[in-house]
Amino acid sequence: MSKQRVSRRQFLSYTLTGVGGFMAAGMLMPMVRFAVDPVLKADEGGDFIATKQKVADITDEPVRVDFTFKQKDAWYESEVTNTAWVYKDDAGKIVALSPTCKHLGCTVNWNTDKEHPGQFFCPCHYGRYEKNGQNIAGTPPLAPLDVYPFKEKDGFLYLGKAKPRKEA
Amino acid sequence: MKWTPQDIETYLNAKEYVDTAVIPLFSVSMGDDMKQSAAALEFINLLTGYLERQFTGRLILFPPFTYLNSKNEEVILSDLKDWEASLVKEEIHHIFYITSDIDWRDREKDLNGTLIWLPAIPLEHMNDSQKVAIIDSQVKQLLGLFTQKWHESE
Ligand code: FES
Repeated sequence: MSKQRVSRRQFLSYTLTGVGGFMAAGMLMPMVRFAVDPVLKADEGGDFIATKQKVADITDEPVRVDFTFKQKDAWYESEVTNTAWVYKDDAGKIVALSPTCKHLGCTVNWNTDKEHPGQFFCPCHYGRYEKNGQNIAGTPPLAPLDVYPFKEKDGFLYLGKAKPRKEA
Repeated sequence: MKWTPQDIETYLNAKEYVDTAVIPLFSVSMGDDMKQSAAALEFINLLTGYLERQFTGRLILFPPFTYLNSKNEEVILSDLKDWEASLVKEEIHHIFYITSDIDWRDREKDLNGTLIWLPAIPLEHMNDSQKVAIIDSQVKQLLGLFTQKWHESE
């Protein structure tokens, strides 16, 4: 007979877990939404952010361009500075590459590996990329560098959100 | 990698690529030095955060090792040595301590890791782009130190 009986302690702990679960869900849901919202917004709008780089000054040598925007992280709004490697390709078309290594995310640099000039180089595990961002086989990265969409406005370069390159 | 669930998960899946720890050392003081202690925190936080972005894939930025400035020196040191010991167990061979607390310069010899001592630059009256410029120039000088240590061990 005692098999089926729920003791007082069990009863309490069941009900409390239930209530606690509800409370946690109630608290968590809005927090999750806060955290995810800005990301979604940036995606939809495809906002372009102004840089200090004059389009006319861009050459065929990649230069580092920093740009800053506000990012909201839960309750906290902060300024984030991102970087792009910008140059004109052989056809004179602007290319803006993300410096984030596709292996594990270190920042890649232009032309810093003496043995392999004219490439992007990742200091962490010696990943390398061609000037056009294509990863070099035999080094750790398995994908090309992401590409920033860009715009020109009043002579200045505006950059959007970096996107993975579609495989050719 | 930062001390966040996402980054730590990446770490757990790619342990063989991660062999370096950065541990900020913070002294917390009360009374007259409180403000200075807070300024050091802002500086070291920004600096290590930026450093982490350069070397995301090879290092873990640990939560700061924080101690009360008035605490017994030997206790502080032996606490940190415990961190050191558990990192070595995790196959983390390069440990860098970054601090603005000058007292560590005397304790450096007792540590296996590399101590980077930087006097805190007060950032409170600067705007963000000035801050970025300052931190950027400081970190640039540190990058070589890291790559050099990595090269030596290869
Ligand atoms: S993070 Fe760039 S090669 Fe590993």
